[in-house]
Amino acid sequence: MAGMCCEVNLAETETSAPVEPSSRSARRRRMEIHQFNFVPTDSAVAPPLETRGKRKRQKFDAVVPVLQPPRKCGKAARSCEEDDEKVNNSHLPGEVEPEKKQLRLPAAETTPVSELDVARDCPKFGMTSVCGRRRDMEDAVAIHTSFAGANPNFPSGMHFFGVYDGHGCSHVATRCKDRMHEIVKDELQTGGSSSWERTMFESFLKMDKEVGDWCSGGECISACRCELQTPQCDAVGSTAVVAVVTPDKVVVSNCGDSRAVLCRNGVAIPLSVDHKPDRPDELNRIQEAGGRVIFWDGPRVLGVLAMSRAIGDNYLKPFVISEPEVTVTERTAEDECLILASDGLWDVVSNETACGVARMCLQSRKPPSPPRSPGNDMSVTVAGESSDKACSDASILLTKLALARHSTDNVSVVVVDLRKSS
Amino acid sequence: MGNETQDNFEEFYREWRDEQKQQLDNLVFASNNSQPPQTDSSSLSVLVAGVVAHYERYYKTKSKCAKADVLLLLSPPWTTSLEDAFIWVGGWRPTTAFHLLYSKSGLQFVAKFEAVESGAAASPIDLGDLSSEQVHLIDTLQRRTIVEERKISEKLAKQQERVADAEMVELSHDVNELSRVEGDDTSFVTGRIKSTLKLKEEGFHKILQSADDLRLGTIKAVVDILTPMQAVHFLIAAAELQLSLRDWGREKEEREASSQAVA
Repeated sequence: MAGMCCEVNLAETETSAPVEPSSRSARRRRMEIHQFNFVPTDSAVAPPLETRGKRKRQKFDAVVPVLQPPRKCGKAARSCEEDDEKVNNSHLPGEVEPEKKQLRLPAAETTPVSELDVARDCPKFGMTSVCGRRRDMEDAVAIHTSFAGANPNFPSGMHFFGVYDGHGCSHVATRCKDRMHEIVKDELQTGGSSSWERTMFESFLKMDKEVGDWCSGGECISACRCELQTPQCDAVGSTAVVAVVTPDKVVVSNCGDSRAVLCRNGVAIPLSVDHKPDRPDELNRIQEAGGRVIFWDGPRVLGVLAMSRAIGDNYLKPFVISEPEVTVTERTAEDECLILASDGLWDVVSNETACGVARMCLQSRKPPSPPRSPGNDMSVTVAGESSDKACSDASILLTKLALARHSTDNVSVVVVDLRKSS
Repeated sequence: MGNETQDNFEEFYREWRDEQKQQLDNLVFASNNSQPPQTDSSSLSVLVAGVVAHYERYYKTKSKCAKADVLLLLSPPWTTSLEDAFIWVGGWRPTTAFHLLYSKSGLQFVAKFEAVESGAAASPIDLGDLSSEQVHLIDTLQRRTIVEERKISEKLAKQQERVADAEMVELSHDVNELSRVEGDDTSFVTGRIKSTLKLKEEGFHKILQSADDLRLGTIKAVVDILTPMQAVHFLIAAAELQLSLRDWGREKEEREASSQAVA
């Protein structure tokens, strides 16, 4: 593997040390521009269900995760996306479809860089999303460069990155992957929202409503393991951490315990704060809404869900809400990269280590010590090569680190190069 | 017939395990004495192909014996109770291959960084160096294997439920009725019993066959994704785990047997 990063203490043994809230807030203080906007509660959220507490968050074993067929990146298209790989039942292990290799390449390598205009605006990024040690794949990743088309306000393009970590089943995460960027785009073009906070707030609510309607409508055909049957369907949700990268800003909107971290001049700056039920402000909010946080294998809303905000999870409303916390961060010349990942990474790798690894991959023309290339010449770094390669190296290295540290969850990592004119 | 099959297969399995130990030695030797990967990758490939062929031979023989006595191979008497606890449809669970791979890869990944940090020379390519493309291929293979494994588990569930299908219930009732009336002489339904059970065994045979196909297919597919040297490391880990599990199971059983003898 390419990134043999020597300056980072990857072998640090204190595994699975979740980031201390205190250190996180310390970092937050250091960052002046960084601002949190707590959006007021919207009364439109669904009323509490009478059934609350009766249903456990269920785990369904029997069926297969739903994964959408991979989409091709049109050469002419201005957007490019990397989807989860399709589970193809008709293929036995060992058979590799001819086009598979091509589809398998990290997103960065399928970006239509041939168009110079686009290439100039197109950020460099890398993505890895694996099932890991779980038997169900419930993570989904969406990457859409220049997703809002020609927007007069943002002539040089905005890019969308989303990581969704489903629970209960995969269909809410999948739905977020398919729809969130479109909803945000619509909201930007027609919503007339005055601010990023408002835009993202409305988008998350719409996404949540769409998921709710979609489930209760029951008209869609889903191959997920719950098969969208009620009542199980109500017990399904997803985290959502979405970053919109504009030429001068990074807008991060978050619901749940996936996380976005900015690496600025070697310092890890979290751009989202996990929504854990025992976070003091979240605990208050839940209790004021009449809900309870019960310790059952960690703090859980009503003893069920281990996060306090999510898309979906109808049965836990209004305690679990879909309002995002939005941060708007001005980009600076010192920004190196943005890392979005599911808790499969963050449970076992600290923000600082993740930044160190990503930074190293981005900086290394050639890593300090000679990592020899593995079989597939993926790691041969040549001077002047695209740093997309570096971004995918970073995402794969972080994924491998998470697996090496015994992450038991799905692991999804997106690394976006934020260096200007790099 | 059954006994003969058992003796034959047990004998085959004993020899096969001895060969496996020999192959493990060869694999370990190769992993320790690797030249620059370019020069000896062809000889490593030959070694890896040999080990895969060895697995293939195991499943071929197993399949032959299963035709004669599927029940024997579904609950083989020669495995230890420790091994039995991990058995899925008469063998190892195919998805454990990925856990084995991730665990071994993780250990080698961490070791690499420790070595680099302490200033030691970078170790040669192993499972710590899985490339981006390899990780993606492994992930896809894993997801497909999970799907296949679940399908087989579901088939097994259905097959096991057939123990109480109408035919079995009727037959067991008839046999009991008959013995009440005729005493112990139920000889004239023996044919019916045989043919009914035969059908059940055939059902199990198909399931065992698809499970074994998935096992072998998974080994081959994983090895195909890996470079020869990485495959050597993977096959070492697989053999070490398999042999250790057996040894630990035997030690445990011997301990228990001796403590019973003392009591």
